[in-house]
Amino acid sequence: MSSEHAVPAARAVENLAAKLRRRQIVGSREAALETVLVLRQVVAKARFSNIDQLVSLLREVGKRLAEAQPKEHTVGNVVRKVLHNIREEYNTAAKGAAAAPTRNVFSISKFVLQGQPRKQVIAPKSEATISLRENDPDEPDSFAKALKPVLMEAIQDVLDELETVYDNVSKTAKDHIHSDEIILTIGHSKTVEAFLKSAGHYRNYTVIVAETGPSYSGHEMATSLSNAGISTFLVPDSSIYAIMSRVNKVIIGAHAILANGGMFAITGSLLAATAARAHSTPVVVCTGQFKLTPAWNLYHDYGALDFADPSSVLGYEEGLLVDKVDVINPYYDYVGPELVDVFITNDGDHPPSSIYRLVKESYDDEDQHL
Amino acid sequence: MPPKSSAGKEKDLATEEEVLQAVILADSFNKRFRPLTVGKPRCLLPICNATLLDWTFESLALAGVQEIFVICRSYADLVKKAIRESKWSRPSSGLKIVPIITAKETFSPGDAMRDIYTHGIITSDFVLVTGDLVSNIRIDEVVRVHKERRRTNKDAIMTIVVKESGLQHRTRSRGESGVFVLDPDTSECLHYESVIGYPPKTHAEIPREIFAEHPEVEIRNDLIDCCIDICSVEVPSLFQDNFDYADIRRDFVYGVLTSDLLMKNVHCYIAKEGYAARVADTRSYDAISKDILSRWTYPLVPDNNHPGGHAYDHLRGNKYMAKDNTIIMSRTARVGPNTLIGAHTTIADGASISGSVIGQRCKIGPGAVLKGAYIFDDTEIGAGALVENSIVGSGVRIGEGSTVRTGCLIADGVVLGKNARLARFDRVSRRRYLVDGESTDGEEDEEEWEVVEAHQDSVTSVLGEGSNAVVWPQSHSEDEDEEVDEVESYNNQRLMRIGDTASDIDLSDAGSVTEDESDSEDEDDASSIMNGLSRTSSMTSVSLPDPDVSTIHNLQASAADSEFRSEVKQSLDRAFAEGHSVDNASVELKTLRMASNVPLRRVREAVVEAIVERVPIVEGDAAKQRTEIGRMVARWGPLIDRIGGVDPVETVEVLACHCAQSSRLPLFGQILAALYQADIVEEDDIRAWHAQASSQAEGQKPGPYMDGLEKCWSVGKMMIEQFDEQESDDESGEGEDEEEEEEEEEEEEKGSAAQVPATKAESSEEEESEEESEEGSEGGSNEGSEESSEESESEESEVTKAAVSEKTLASADVPATKVEQTETKTTATVSTPAGAAEPAEPVSTTHAAVVAAVDSTSTATIKQVEVADPARKQVAAAVIEETQRTVVVASADEAAKPAPSGLSTTPLPAQAIAKVATGSTQPSRKTNNEEDEEDESEESEEESGESEEASGSGSEGSSSEEGSGEDSTGRDVGGEDSSEEESE
Repeated sequence: MSSEHAVPAARAVENLAAKLRRRQIVGSREAALETVLVLRQVVAKARFSNIDQLVSLLREVGKRLAEAQPKEHTVGNVVRKVLHNIREEYNTAAKGAAAAPTRNVFSISKFVLQGQPRKQVIAPKSEATISLRENDPDEPDSFAKALKPVLMEAIQDVLDELETVYDNVSKTAKDHIHSDEIILTIGHSKTVEAFLKSAGHYRNYTVIVAETGPSYSGHEMATSLSNAGISTFLVPDSSIYAIMSRVNKVIIGAHAILANGGMFAITGSLLAATAARAHSTPVVVCTGQFKLTPAWNLYHDYGALDFADPSSVLGYEEGLLVDKVDVINPYYDYVGPELVDVFITNDGDHPPSSIYRLVKESYDDEDQHL
Repeated sequence: MPPKSSAGKEKDLATEEEVLQAVILADSFNKRFRPLTVGKPRCLLPICNATLLDWTFESLALAGVQEIFVICRSYADLVKKAIRESKWSRPSSGLKIVPIITAKETFSPGDAMRDIYTHGIITSDFVLVTGDLVSNIRIDEVVRVHKERRRTNKDAIMTIVVKESGLQHRTRSRGESGVFVLDPDTSECLHYESVIGYPPKTHAEIPREIFAEHPEVEIRNDLIDCCIDICSVEVPSLFQDNFDYADIRRDFVYGVLTSDLLMKNVHCYIAKEGYAARVADTRSYDAISKDILSRWTYPLVPDNNHPGGHAYDHLRGNKYMAKDNTIIMSRTARVGPNTLIGAHTTIADGASISGSVIGQRCKIGPGAVLKGAYIFDDTEIGAGALVENSIVGSGVRIGEGSTVRTGCLIADGVVLGKNARLARFDRVSRRRYLVDGESTDGEEDEEEWEVVEAHQDSVTSVLGEGSNAVVWPQSHSEDEDEEVDEVESYNNQRLMRIGDTASDIDLSDAGSVTEDESDSEDEDDASSIMNGLSRTSSMTSVSLPDPDVSTIHNLQASAADSEFRSEVKQSLDRAFAEGHSVDNASVELKTLRMASNVPLRRVREAVVEAIVERVPIVEGDAAKQRTEIGRMVARWGPLIDRIGGVDPVETVEVLACHCAQSSRLPLFGQILAALYQADIVEEDDIRAWHAQASSQAEGQKPGPYMDGLEKCWSVGKMMIEQFDEQESDDESGEGEDEEEEEEEEEEEEKGSAAQVPATKAESSEEEESEEESEEGSEGGSNEGSEESSEESESEESEVTKAAVSEKTLASADVPATKVEQTETKTTATVSTPAGAAEPAEPVSTTHAAVVAAVDSTSTATIKQVEVADPARKQVAAAVIEETQRTVVVASADEAAKPAPSGLSTTPLPAQAIAKVATGSTQPSRKTNNEEDEEDESEESEEESGESEEASGSGSEGSSSEEGSGEDSTGRDVGGEDSSEEESE
């Protein structure tokens, strides 16, 4: 059915797909943002006369985008989230406001947050004022017309969540970092950076940043932190284990959080997490909930780690070596759930063991495979 | 943000920004992939299961190109069809692809560019690439830089994208590369010189002005030229104006840079990040496949952004398997690392695959072994077959137990029977009538097939029963027209073949190729090489072992020379046949010499050779023979001195060298006598030649050549004895002379005639006697004789040189220290085991030379030696030779090693350097000292200056004994000298 309309905003979709494929968009948040923007275009231009048409259309777009770059899990996540929100909006609109709130009673995040005010999931603005007529043969567009404003708001919610993710994650920073603590971090995660900086306003503490070869993004992190007035040390990756005994907490970012509570994070994270485990140092992961991915890495799928080009390890100009040496340069590490103590998200703190629950709440089951 | 605004923004962007255009030259204009390219164009060959064209499109799309023109010639229909059916022509791809079919008469990239001009499709700066590009470089970034530069400098017409690599890199073409001279500040390309692998090119010549205008230059021979050019609109029109530009690099870039009229600049963009390479030959096909599989092209890798749209799983060890689970692989089959296997492929029990690319729907039989094999779609490999380092086309069936050894190319649809055995580097295709599809370039193909079919009798490979294959000959027959591009010459092509290693070219064939060359090449070539050798070997042997020297000289007999030789030969042929006047012939020769920029000695060799070879042979009658020679020398002899410089000593030497190798050895004495008679050679010159160590075949390898030289020398000796005799006889009367004559006639019959000097002595008796008395007892060796400058030109210019070199030294002193900091990149970036130990001195030495060149304000030629075996560092040494007005930078390290063969890969560069550095001190000091003794140095310098002017159009001026030696052959000798001069 959707094919008959083709895909609205096909150009935008293809563009994004190509950019994802060509790695012109990197980073989970950026990819997620771009995806939401494209989805919004698609919905804005879409013509549909019932909810199934819209959903299948979005799923198709989502599938294309997710397949374009399977390593950027957030693309799929955002599509699922949008689908979830749209369904919710539709349900609210169709069946009245009664049905929806009951779902949230058992929300584990709510449970853990213990009364922390959660963003109103069911917007009161979409109270059953809309009269929905699906598959109206006389006016096929009426359904779309009626629903679109609500849908736009649903998408806007996702967008807002993405845009405020750093603020929300770092809101609780001062509760996690105490004065005179020594924190170890690795890589240059924007979330962690915001988190540490926010804590820096209230606490006096020290950060040790590992260089994080071969990208050496630790250098940027260290510069940024010390510019913010936080006492910062930059250490080589090899000394992570040696200094671990003095570290109070390991705070790292994530690329994607899997349903079992494990995660993909920048190379070196596994090293840091394992060293922390050996010293029983708590490992704290700062992340937005858009990184929650309904997937597992049960079989430690080799390709899932995303292998980059060897040039940062071995210069291409080393002609003789290039011919004789196979260089493997994984971009991510898989850090198992047993190595992580807590995930600090923009929506509360969660132990790895409850991630599956969050995943189930955030997305609809039927969207697990787009 | 409402959605509309973002859409509006996009539109704005689209209209504001100019559409970035790209032109793809989809035709290769060569036949390196034959016979794989029988029936389809090269750009449709798959690499890692996607056609080259797809890779190119992807590379361009990655760079944000929006409009692409594909220039196709051969199999244009196939290309068009491929484009139409590819994902690129879908509207959503964001690419607008326009195939343009050029005329069949388009034989070079230059023609294609002219075609682009006539089509008038180019509206702004555009990207020019070839249809076989694999790149992930952000070309749009380069375009931005280019456009920015254009804003301030309208003459910056082109930006060449190059990629840094080591000298010895699998992806760097050994057969075809280039030396770039860059200004490191502006990244302007100041000079470009193409380099071919065989015959090894050892020199790059750089105009001296470059050093005058740019305080710092980089000479780089470590760049992969990936043929991505950002061209401005003028470029096609420049091609239109210069109808003879064929190759974009060798003709266009070189032409633009060397032209005094165009005043255009070319810039280089050295890509530090990203990957770019061209599948220019089967060797680079192999290398780039490996690069893709080992993810150098990331994010353009099979599991991520496969241009063919396939999806692959990336497994441990860089193994890629089609994602759709359609591969049927036996449990016992082994798949090694760096392998790509396409969808629907079946791999049977016990098969072993490593380092290979296997297409879709292939069948690999039980126990088959594939190592480094590139197998296109739908191919069947029989049980137990072995395929190594070869490319196998699509739809091929290789029978059970067959063996396909290294370097084979098997074209589409070939069937090899059971137990077929292909020799290494065999190229196999179907028989002619089986190859369907109209051949596009009719006649050419026709000829090609005839050659192939004629070859079938001599095939040694076993094709197996039921085979439909023909084996292609290894090389084009020699009699093919002489204009075969050097790049395409067989030996050079070997450097571009898959699986062909350098050691192979030296070791595998019967007799090494280096020897081959001197044996098989026609006598002319060999002789000129040897001529070059004869002088210098003795001189360089001071510091260097002999065999090395000889190889260097083989090296130097490079491309330009051979071209020049054939030209001169033709010119002289015409002159002789049509009876031109000596004046006209000399003008022609001078022009030729200018055009090819070869040393004077080469011209002399050619002229002497022409005369010698044209003397009609009169059997049995010595007197008649003598008159024939006399006539010949009288008619054409003067030409020898009219070629731009007079150097009788060299004339004799060249004559001896030529005769020594020619069947006309017996004529040497007579011709020498005739020359003497005609006043072209004086007695002193003969003595001087005779005294030279090289004339006595010193330092030569024993062989016919040495014997010849020795014979010549002994003839000369006899003549000199006669001179001596005459001298003493002069007083006693002329009667004895006649007696002598009689005696000599007998000798002459033995093949050594020297009576003419005697007769001449009669005529110019008085003069002679004077001179003789002066020279006195010096006899055979007049080295260091204190002759007056009017008499001996050679002496004179030696003196000149001494004075000059001292002067240059003084002037070079100060600037030399200034440039010490700068590095010549070629030296600096070559990676070698001993690299770290490399002392800084050689580098600064080079620069000293360079600065000296700038000081002495006349045109300079810098010879930059490429190290054929790049595992070693180069050390440059230099000569400033004012009389020659040349600066010669030669590689001392090169000189110390048998580089062309590349045989020994474990030299001790540091030692070699030290050796050269110390070794070279001595000779030059010696000469300096000698020359110091000559007090008249300044005076004679002036004189030589005058004589230089007097010698007219020859830019070489008066070619002294030493000078010409350096000029023609002894680059390295000179090089060492000067390096010393500098370092002092």
